Amino acid sequence: MDKHYCICIGRKFCSGGRNVAAIVAEKLGIRVYDKDLLKKAAQDTGFSEKFFDEADEEKTRKGLRSLFISHFTGSGLSSNYLSNESIFNMQSDAIRRIHEQEDCVFIGRCADYVLRESDRLLNVFIASDMDDRVARVCRHADDGMTQPKALSLIEDIDRKRSSYYNYFTGRTWGDPAFYDICLNSTTLGYDRCAEIIVELARERLGI
Amino acid sequence: MAELKTPQELGTERIGKLLIRYAVPAMIAMLASSLYNIVDRAFIGHGVGSMALSGLAVTFPLMNLSAALGSMVGVGSGTMISLKLGQKDHESAQMLLGNSVTLNILIGVLFGALSLIFINPILTLFGATEVTIGFAREYMIIILAGNAFTHLYLGINCILRAAGHPNKAMIATIGTVLLNTFLDYLFIMVFHWGIKGAAIATVISQVLAFTWQCFQLSDKSELIHLKRGTFRLRGDLVKNILTIGLSPCLMNAAACFVVLLINRGLLKYGSDVAIGAYSIINSIGFMIVMMVMGFNQAMQPIAGYNYGARQMDRVLRVLYLTMFFGTCVTTLGFVIAEFMPGACIRIFTNDPELTGIARNGMMINFIFFPLIGSQMVIGNFFQSIGMPGKSIIMSLSRQLLLLIPFLIILPRYYGINGIWYSMPASDILSVILGFSLLIPQVRKLKKMV
Repeated sequence: MDKHYCICIGRKFCSGGRNVAAIVAEKLGIRVYDKDLLKKAAQDTGFSEKFFDEADEEKTRKGLRSLFISHFTGSGLSSNYLSNESIFNMQSDAIRRIHEQEDCVFIGRCADYVLRESDRLLNVFIASDMDDRVARVCRHADDGMTQPKALSLIEDIDRKRSSYYNYFTGRTWGDPAFYDICLNSTTLGYDRCAEIIVELARERLGI
Repeated sequence: MAELKTPQELGTERIGKLLIRYAVPAMIAMLASSLYNIVDRAFIGHGVGSMALSGLAVTFPLMNLSAALGSMVGVGSGTMISLKLGQKDHESAQMLLGNSVTLNILIGVLFGALSLIFINPILTLFGATEVTIGFAREYMIIILAGNAFTHLYLGINCILRAAGHPNKAMIATIGTVLLNTFLDYLFIMVFHWGIKGAAIATVISQVLAFTWQCFQLSDKSELIHLKRGTFRLRGDLVKNILTIGLSPCLMNAAACFVVLLINRGLLKYGSDVAIGAYSIINSIGFMIVMMVMGFNQAMQPIAGYNYGARQMDRVLRVLYLTMFFGTCVTTLGFVIAEFMPGACIRIFTNDPELTGIARNGMMINFIFFPLIGSQMVIGNFFQSIGMPGKSIIMSLSRQLLLLIPFLIILPRYYGINGIWYSMPASDILSVILGFSLLIPQVRKLKKMV
């Protein structure tokens, strides 16, 4: 059995995944890793944080087109440290190292796939109703955010997350078959979602 | 890429030392593949004759096209496999290997069969005449019959490299060159099989190399090996392989189109002999270019790593040093071509007419070569600091975008010399373009030091 457990949370954009993760982590007294992962990866490789930030899951160009462009001139096999693939590998190394050192919650970044061999792993996916998400975007965004704009932003980010995840893992993002539990934060609320996750974690992860 | 563990030495070790250490293996591999061309052409030129050399030259676009399709599968599956190996996902890597073998066979056989059916119109399109088509057909029929093996051999070599066995890939490459040289000698000089002998030598050496590769990949203790049940194509894998591979494929296909234009131009304004002359010039130029590519490959990880680490002074130093080495290499090419063209051409032929045309073409073609070194390095530099867009512009400009208009316009005024002029003309323009893209970039980097 692995020394430490972890809870991997995948989430649709603006579904409150981060809020739920924060509650879960507080209840269990553990840390949440999302963008911090990038910092961690950066420390280990000697790369600058800013650089990793640029290559994050939501900032990369849309799936296939990005692949097409990034392999245009290279033989594709030369050791290019800046390729999406090698950055993904560095980030995965950071995920594995954190998992060896502490109990934690990972948000996104394909952690569920990276740690698939672990026997103390809970995979969660959080979604919510579109109306709810649009309202949330409008609430949090600057002035001038309209409903149609919010809708297209949501669709765009979901698409990026999905193509990032599918390319690197060979799985299907959001497909229930790849998660232990899928929750709807609109119907359940953040607190209830967190309770269910914690309960399940206690039962399954030997906490 | 599988063995990429971000060696910290890239950020600390002396740049010159790093560059040399990374460049030597890359240069050996590059030289080996360019020697293959030279050997084949030399044996055909001396052993069969100058018309056979021209016959061989008109088959190049077709061979390029085949290589383009092969590289599509090779680069795509190599990239995917190294990604999966990095994640210790051996099962997926295994599936990718099996799928790439199937894809190579499918595409190889299909391309071979289609080209065989339309062999005459295709060769005519590429510049064959009554004099040369016999040679071209004799050669190509055998090559196309073995086309699936060519794809398999090249594809698996990409995968060996990706799977952390660059040495095995290099052994296969060098072994193929040596075997091909020996068989060329045997078949052409001893058995007098003519141009057919060169084709048979190529196919045999690739089949043997492929057999050796299979042997390497059937070792069950290896992380990835050929396994039953992995050969059935899976839609998602094929899609990823082909998307990644499509861009290098298009690049090669574009090269094929340019050779076609050149061959047809040479035929229109010159003769069959001129096509043979071009193949000689091209072999020499290719070797020089490949040596610069060796330095480029060495620059990539060093520039990339230090760019990521925001050590811009080291990024700039490796850029300047690579440009210097690149320029040395292309200047060497220039000196050889301008001051001893006869010696180069004698490798391929003793025919006085062919020698005359080749000498003239070579001296024009290489005139701006000292400048080309830095142009090639600049293009690759953009790639290594994660700006593929500019890199694409750079590599398309010299060999395609700038060259094609010259190839169409200049021969109208200068005849066959117009075709030779096109190449240095596009060289010089692309050098100007390169520096105009590089200088603002260097300024930006300097601010970040």
